[in-house]
Amino acid sequence: MAPQDGNLWYKDAVIYQLHVRTFCDSDGNGSGDFRGLTNKLDYLKELGVNALWLLPFYPSPLRDDGYDIADYTSVNPSYGTIEDFKTFLDAAHSRGIRVITEVVVNHTSDQHPWFQESRSSRDNPKRDWYVWSDTDTRYQGVRIIFVDTEMSNWAWDPISKSYYWHRFFSHQPDLNFDNPAVREAVWDVMRFWLDMGVDGFRLDAVPYLVERDGTSCENLPETHGVIRELRQRLDQHYPGKMLLAEANQWPADVRAYFGEGDEFHMAFHFPLMPRMFMAVKLEDRKPIIEILEQTPQIPENCQWCIFLRNHDELTLEMVTDIERDYMYDSFANDKAMRINLGIRRRLAPMMENDRRRIELLNGLLLSMPGTPIIYYGDEIGMGDNIYLGDRNGVRTPMQWNGGWNAGFSSSDPERLYSPLISNPVYGYQAVNVDSQRRSEHSLLSWTKSVIRTRNSSKVFSRGSIEFLNPLNHRVLAYVRQLGEEKVLVVNNLASSAQAVELNLQAYKGYIPIEMFGRNLFPRIGDLPYLLTLGPYQFYWFRLRRI
Amino acid sequence: MPEESLLGERYPELGRQLMSVGLTDLLVAVPSFNNEATIERTVQAIEESYQRNFVRDRVVILNLDAGSTDRTTEIVLNMNGRRSGGQRGIMSLRTVHCVTTQYAKVPSQSEALQLILTSADLLEAKACAVVSATTTNVDANWIANLLRPAYKQEFQFVAPLYTRGKYQGLLARTLLYPMSRAVFGCRIREMYSDEWGFSRQLALDCESQNVWKNEEIRARPEAWMAITAMASGYKCCQSFMGPKVAPSGPAPDLVEAIRQTVGNLFWCLEKFESFWVGRSGSDAITTFGSEHDLIEEEPPANSEKIFDLFRSGVEELESILASILTPETHARIKEIAALDAAKFRFGPALWVRTLYEFAAAYHRGVMARNHVIQALVPLYRGQLYSFLLEQANSSPDEIEADTESLCREFENQKPYLVEQWKAKS
Repeated sequence: MAPQDGNLWYKDAVIYQLHVRTFCDSDGNGSGDFRGLTNKLDYLKELGVNALWLLPFYPSPLRDDGYDIADYTSVNPSYGTIEDFKTFLDAAHSRGIRVITEVVVNHTSDQHPWFQESRSSRDNPKRDWYVWSDTDTRYQGVRIIFVDTEMSNWAWDPISKSYYWHRFFSHQPDLNFDNPAVREAVWDVMRFWLDMGVDGFRLDAVPYLVERDGTSCENLPETHGVIRELRQRLDQHYPGKMLLAEANQWPADVRAYFGEGDEFHMAFHFPLMPRMFMAVKLEDRKPIIEILEQTPQIPENCQWCIFLRNHDELTLEMVTDIERDYMYDSFANDKAMRINLGIRRRLAPMMENDRRRIELLNGLLLSMPGTPIIYYGDEIGMGDNIYLGDRNGVRTPMQWNGGWNAGFSSSDPERLYSPLISNPVYGYQAVNVDSQRRSEHSLLSWTKSVIRTRNSSKVFSRGSIEFLNPLNHRVLAYVRQLGEEKVLVVNNLASSAQAVELNLQAYKGYIPIEMFGRNLFPRIGDLPYLLTLGPYQFYWFRLRRI
Repeated sequence: MPEESLLGERYPELGRQLMSVGLTDLLVAVPSFNNEATIERTVQAIEESYQRNFVRDRVVILNLDAGSTDRTTEIVLNMNGRRSGGQRGIMSLRTVHCVTTQYAKVPSQSEALQLILTSADLLEAKACAVVSATTTNVDANWIANLLRPAYKQEFQFVAPLYTRGKYQGLLARTLLYPMSRAVFGCRIREMYSDEWGFSRQLALDCESQNVWKNEEIRARPEAWMAITAMASGYKCCQSFMGPKVAPSGPAPDLVEAIRQTVGNLFWCLEKFESFWVGRSGSDAITTFGSEHDLIEEEPPANSEKIFDLFRSGVEELESILASILTPETHARIKEIAALDAAKFRFGPALWVRTLYEFAAAYHRGVMARNHVIQALVPLYRGQLYSFLLEQANSSPDEIEADTESLCREFENQKPYLVEQWKAKS
């Protein structure tokens, strides 16, 4: 049955990603919490986003920023209570903001009671909830993901004297999805939150759910079987709810996770992200065009999720060696900026705080096919601290104002879960919400404006895309179209002014109306349409036949 | 009246395309004329080289077609269409532009080169190379070998070096190389070649010179470019390419080849007189890869016919040769023309003296310059026949040693050239 249009809300969403811990501390314990987040919902409404993606907020030893979950159906006491969460959820919904939470189902923390039981003896009923082996030679050749910290995908458990399988950190044992009881338990977890009103889940580390001998243990058919089963239950009992896949793979491989529209509703387009940065640095549209040409069609009820930066390193797994070297040389010449196969930096510092480049990248994000995700703090140009270890440098407290603890918390500064960014360029005295609210021309005000413009038409969220290929490769131009509505997007990827001649013969007679200022440009005629663009400038034109 | 703008008025469409390409690091040009059998491979080799060796650089391929009537242009345009959307991981980071245009109705290497230099100027290309669409085995390494020294190592002119058969390239081995080396003092072995590389600085220097209407560089502008580099004190080098496979078909006409190359060399002697007259000896230049690579091959058939043509030429052109050569040299040539074919030897000293007298006669304008050049053809045949006899059993090393010896003879006799050159007619 085709979903009702309202059920496709995720296609029209502009998602804001945050960690409760990082956003606002209401009780002065140095860590953000749900009450603090609730207090800031008006800010998010004002920004124009209409969905929040919350990173894991469950009880956890926090050895992987909450992705090591010790209890799936509670809230980490540092962030509040279940009641606080319910209050937040209702408040978000009342503002028209949907809430997407994380279900990390591939693995748990080694502190989770399921694992504690499983390891307690070989006869324990939960023994088969995890993947155990007497040797560490099974599934040989399967790649190690956290190459900087892990030597093997197997870890020795001294209690039950055997090895357990882990694709990520050794303190994150993988669940055994061949066990029906595990699948049932995962569904129970999802039901718990769905019943409360959560609008969707991001499923972490999806490709690794099932293991088989002689394979890469990634993207296996059995994994797709698990997903289909969950989706079927979701559609049956909770129509209109959404599943988002985290599968850091090539688009052709991720395509399988949409199934026939019966697996995930959305999936991240990982390879596009580094190529947007690469295109701007190279001043050449080729990386973007190339990856989008390799991106397969997806079912009508599905959507790509696109992003610039997130809580993890800017992953460079889905690039070639040549591209990775280029990205490192361009954006991470200091080795401290690199982690695993990626770059642990925020958007603004990567763009050397060049407002024009930050705007261009956001313009690309918001005008290309897919649901955009904005990482908290990037809307004001927050900086990072590459010396904080792991990826904590991009997870520092939100900078609300130039006062005590940046307005994030009333605690002693020493008690904050993380130091604030305090350098003269990106520090909270210079970069904060309050000061940017006061200026019509701040990055924050600009971001609101561009989101508002995007939200003014579904052509960006649902329209087709047709690339124009002007000879000037520094210009990336495309037409988005939905029904009769057409928008021409022209981006200058270069640091210098550019002229471009666009073949707009198909739109002869149309008038381009610049969408931000609503200015009319000359009518499209027989000749190639000549535009000049300043450095990193972009235009969005509504094409109208008047 | 303002000077005509090459890209603005004569080739506006090319100008428009180039302006859209914008600033470029590397430009490789491929002049073509009815090369449908080879053009695809050549363009692919350039693309492959860009992808393999210059992944981060801004690059362009410039195809200048002299009005092909076959599918040459169509093939290049079709390749453009196929270029976008390549396989994951094998493409260079940037767009590889391929610009194609018709520049003339008949092939003219000088006109093509002028357009290449002007294009390079507009695009501010840091290094350029020209490759021939007639060569059937251009590969990606060739392109890199021609571009790298100019792009990364501050050389201004990059000449190619090829693996040659024992009897291949004898005009260069016995005349063009030793004479140009002795005259200009720079040991570029393949100054007359369809492939070469150059820097932006040399491109700008050459572009600004008023030579483009001269008939003498119409077919072989590359040697003029090399000599311009030497005379300007630019760094020249050689890059080894490997074997060069010429297209199948009839061998190029010797008269035309001599007219193009020797005519060009003599013209360059005049043009660069102030540079070479006072120089002596020669300098080795940097060579990337093997300096010479000779391989055994079968001698050409009908070598006796070559001798017959020499002998009849000396007889038929007696009055012309008398105007060009000194009486002593002319007498000596007539003497050897009377020898039995098996005992025939031209001899390096006589060969050098003959050439120098021809150059001086060309300079003095004792007759129409084309006639001077054409009168050299039978004498070159004599030298060729002499080479075939002398080197029939020589190893590649022995041939190389003889070439070096001939070069020294040219250098030793250079004062004689100067003397003849300055002599009043």
